[in-house]
Amino acid sequence: MLATACSSHTAHKALRFWATSYEGDYAPHLMTSFTARTGIDVEVQSLPSTAAHEKMLTAFAGREMPDVFVLPSGWIAEFSLIGAVAPLPSPRLVSDVIPAALAMARLHGRNYGVPWSAAPQVQFYRRDLLATIGLDTPPLDWESWRRMGRDLKRKRPDDFVVLTLLNWPDMLFTLLYQSGAVLLRDRDTRGNFRTPEAEQAFAFYASLFAEGLAPRALSTEVQDGFAAFAQGRYAVWPSWPSLLLDLHRRRAELPAERWGVARLPGPRGPGPTAMIASNLCVSTQTDQPDAAWALVRHLASPASELRFQSLIGNLPARASVWTAPQLNQPVLRPFAEQMRQPAITPKIIEWERVQVEVQLVAERMVRGLLTIPQALATIDGRIDQILAKRRSLVEAGRIA
Amino acid sequence: MTRQERTAWWLTGPVLAIVAGVFLLPVLLALALSVTDYSIYAFASRANVQFVGLGNFIGLLRTPLFWRALANTALFAVLGVPMAIGLSLAAALLLHDKTVRWKPLWRVALFAPYVTSVVATAVVWRFLLNTRYGLINYALTAVGLPTVDWLGNPHASIPAILLFVTWKIFGYNMIVFTAALAAVPQDLMEAARLDGASRWGRFRHVTLPAIGPTLLLASVMSVAGFLQIFAEPYVMTLGGPAQSTVTVLYFMFDEGFKWWNLGQASAVALILFVLILAVTNVQTWLGRRNQWL
Repeated sequence: MLATACSSHTAHKALRFWATSYEGDYAPHLMTSFTARTGIDVEVQSLPSTAAHEKMLTAFAGREMPDVFVLPSGWIAEFSLIGAVAPLPSPRLVSDVIPAALAMARLHGRNYGVPWSAAPQVQFYRRDLLATIGLDTPPLDWESWRRMGRDLKRKRPDDFVVLTLLNWPDMLFTLLYQSGAVLLRDRDTRGNFRTPEAEQAFAFYASLFAEGLAPRALSTEVQDGFAAFAQGRYAVWPSWPSLLLDLHRRRAELPAERWGVARLPGPRGPGPTAMIASNLCVSTQTDQPDAAWALVRHLASPASELRFQSLIGNLPARASVWTAPQLNQPVLRPFAEQMRQPAITPKIIEWERVQVEVQLVAERMVRGLLTIPQALATIDGRIDQILAKRRSLVEAGRIA
Repeated sequence: MTRQERTAWWLTGPVLAIVAGVFLLPVLLALALSVTDYSIYAFASRANVQFVGLGNFIGLLRTPLFWRALANTALFAVLGVPMAIGLSLAAALLLHDKTVRWKPLWRVALFAPYVTSVVATAVVWRFLLNTRYGLINYALTAVGLPTVDWLGNPHASIPAILLFVTWKIFGYNMIVFTAALAAVPQDLMEAARLDGASRWGRFRHVTLPAIGPTLLLASVMSVAGFLQIFAEPYVMTLGGPAQSTVTVLYFMFDEGFKWWNLGQASAVALILFVLILAVTNVQTWLGRRNQWL
């Protein structure tokens, strides 16, 4: 018996798998069938989303990368440039992936990950609160949407309307994408925020706080966003599909008939919004690539996608899966529509940092420390500083 | 080399080797990094690393956030050191009094925060400081004072964190002071009392000179500690609101480990090192002048 135990261990040592948030928490449920079929154990580690970026970079530097890991599409450029992600061995792996999700994981004509789930930003709203001002669903253009906010604020002056916090960049960036702003120039080496489009988006963003529709608060001050939404402190929550799991788990606090989902408003109707696609990636440092790709194939299979959808509300990135009856729910329709119109973000390795820094300046603007033109000029200066190294490498022709 | 010297080298050698390997060498490497533009591009190709001389330092001086981080750190130290030392000395004096009963219990209770985990207590304090439901604002309203948006107002965030830090660390110095107070010569104290010295006079001229060296040590350690403050803002405010709690070390962490600009981050580390060295030198000079060393 000892001999067989040893031989099965030497045949395959356990694969290591990292994912963030709910995807990491629930991934072990998908591994049992994989281990039963192949005999390969998988050690799953769930990373908190706020610390995942530095943890993965440090792991790569220390040659401690897991065999398979989940990367949000915004980080693909960065991790492929440093040589942490292996390109796909076969295009068949992504043959029926939704084009928008596939495009986000593509770089210089190569695919670096198998899109697993796609999370477009939408708005969750309180049906009962909107009904008090005579609305069934939130309006889908900026002006009427803000009017809805003012009406709600008049009804409930002690509460806010929109749950968007001052260190969450997604809302501001969605507004920027919808306004049609082109955020970088000169082959993505300089900031381009001093444009009428960006100014329009910033003005709209600032007005949400100035009019008391959104709180001047950071995520550290709102300990339980869900409870606040359930108590009616906010009527609208621009968020992601992952909220579906919270809504299911805590349905005692907020019954299903009291909330709904809609696309986010744009200047003149819905437009592109921020989208996070998670991609299954294989490390270049893995010493068992075949097993790693087998795991990717298993996790990206229609069966696993559907299982994960029912477990945590993840939206599959595989087009063929969307014909399944379990995805034919009215609540998922806005997601499906929005998924066809994601914002295209610059594929530069500094993008994550650019978003954080833009949001820091926007926070100062919201707190009245900067005017909008000052904020936009500060952002351009800051981005030029962040992209200095990239600029010199592009000018020297060392990177595309 | 005598036999004795050889034995000495044998005994200290391993330790010296370890110190050189895990302390000296990394420090030298960090020094070397600070004059390069080592960034995430260095992973792609070593050829992307260039010698930039003092470029990182000049770049830092032109970064407004670095100056803000320096100012925030200075504020932490200027307010925090007197607050922490004053409170621990006051607590030690109270505990030293003959009329106080249950002394061991008090000592343990006041020392306990020091040995708890920063993250766990920071989370508890975030609840205490909550604007709407927090116990501290509840107490303020109870005595008729206006509530404070502790962690959301850029002017209140540093005092809020200082409240927490002081509560957390004062127990350590309190124990050190308790030990020092026990060594204050009692006959001198008696003599001063017989000569009619007031309570303040006895403290100023008998107690203080006796605990002077301890006071100096506590202030050197506290200054170095406050200049390196990081975990508290990282857990409680993430550097916000409006970057009012970004400290030098927090800035270094972001540059180095979040964005992987190790060249820039090493330059920050070097500046912080020079700063701490300078302040400590001033303190030792003051100590020498008062004959505490």
